[in-house]
Amino acid sequence: MTDILQILLIGAVLGGVYALMASGLTLIFGVMKIINLAHPIFIIIGAYVSYWLFTLVGLDPILSMPIAMIVLFCLGIVVYKLIFEREAASARYSEMTVLLTFAVALSFDGLLGVLFGNTQRITSPSYAVEAILLGDLFLPKGQFYAGLVSIALIVALAAFLKFTRFGYAIRATTQNRDAAQLLGVNVGLVSTVTFGIGIALAGASGALISFIFSFFPARHWEWIALLMSLIVLGGMGRLMGAVVGAFLLAIVSAFVGSYFGSTWSMMTFYLALFLILLVRPQGLFGEKME
Amino acid sequence: MPSGSALLEVRDVVAGYGRGPAILTGAGITVEEGRTHCIIGPNGAGKSTLLKVVCGLLPARAGEVVFDGEPITGLRPDQILRRGICLVPQERALFPDMSVRENLRMGGYIIADKADLERRIDEVLEAFPVLRERGGQRAKSLSGGEQQMLTMGRTLVLRPRIVMLDEPSLGLAPRVVNQIFGIIRLLKDKGITVIIVEQNAVVGLSNADLGCVLDLGRTLFEGPADGILADPRIRELYLGKRAGAA
Repeated sequence: MTDILQILLIGAVLGGVYALMASGLTLIFGVMKIINLAHPIFIIIGAYVSYWLFTLVGLDPILSMPIAMIVLFCLGIVVYKLIFEREAASARYSEMTVLLTFAVALSFDGLLGVLFGNTQRITSPSYAVEAILLGDLFLPKGQFYAGLVSIALIVALAAFLKFTRFGYAIRATTQNRDAAQLLGVNVGLVSTVTFGIGIALAGASGALISFIFSFFPARHWEWIALLMSLIVLGGMGRLMGAVVGAFLLAIVSAFVGSYFGSTWSMMTFYLALFLILLVRPQGLFGEKME
Repeated sequence: MPSGSALLEVRDVVAGYGRGPAILTGAGITVEEGRTHCIIGPNGAGKSTLLKVVCGLLPARAGEVVFDGEPITGLRPDQILRRGICLVPQERALFPDMSVRENLRMGGYIIADKADLERRIDEVLEAFPVLRERGGQRAKSLSGGEQQMLTMGRTLVLRPRIVMLDEPSLGLAPRVVNQIFGIIRLLKDKGITVIIVEQNAVVGLSNADLGCVLDLGRTLFEGPADGILADPRIRELYLGKRAGAA
């Protein structure tokens, strides 16, 4: 029983982190129909921002998270303006974005490799190696903090989408772009800013994972399948779907990892992706496409 | 009424999509304040395109749109919206996962004053009790008629001067179509100028004061709606066999 609770606990805190990693991806797909294969490389850039701030000036990665978000927000806007905006009117936009974002991922992967090499790195604030003991249960502090901060950010994002005027504009553009434009929403601006927000969220999760996973530039290839499986499970473009998908798969993979060995836990996500596409391609909360 | 007192004047508009051929090749309509107008014409005549030009979604390649004495050709859609010209498009233009009330809030997206916006929404809900009952429901859970009602209610949040409806009866059951035209009469009673594009010309014209016949991108004829309904040539050309049924 304790074993099961322990696995659930670890799965749940990791679920929060995965949910934040996926939130930006699903937001960007929802509004712009961009399938952003470069999302994890932005997470890695965020991790490097926090890593260097910690290593050079000793700034705690949770505290440097806002800096990583601002840097990535700006980078996101530049990338969107340079690469995606001009193609927005193309009839095959979604398909094209797969290739374009793939190229963006390759380019940043190469650039980071040149700058920082392929050394595995991890930020090491003191809590990264400590744990909280709850009776027989054991909870690594680093994962716990990262999970908590992730959930707080997702709640903030959901509130922003639900209650602010710009949040209304983002949701409206996601659900019916033409109608939003008809009612006076500047959908071009909404797209640009939403891309920035999505990439800033990638930056935030980068700062948080910098002390729970070791990272190097090419690690993003491993994460894209993981993230795609989360948002496909939840229904592409749906924030709550991504959150539920993240918790479900994180917990399942924690069980798989503990019963079959950790090599198999990553396999959970790939298998889940195949299964969802076979059985319910629209995801748990998505609607059937015509 | 002399044309100088027209609320909206569309003159000799040429327009098309992208680099494609012109759909409108000289279309125009004179819209008089407080009256209901119906644009009829066969498929592909350019009826919907004309509405898109008026509300700024499609630029005119030539010609002029004058609203309230001022040219509005070339303005952005939100600028035209602010002047009080609203389009209710053909496809249901709702936000399916937003609640009825949230959809109405989006209707007043360009209104910055929140308290004013909520007041206007309450006013609309007053006029549409069905929507009030459904306030918290997602738009996609409404019936076809209720969705059309919400789309029209959403337009009223802006207290528009002109409401343009593109095929408001499309895909609705006859009983619901009657309801929708009931609402259109309500708009007229509020003093709103209405322009309807209708495939079902008899229903459209019998609910309108003035009619406009469009064919191959040109305006062929404008005049009182009952005159068009009675004109044997137009009956034969554009109203087809349906005319007899009416």
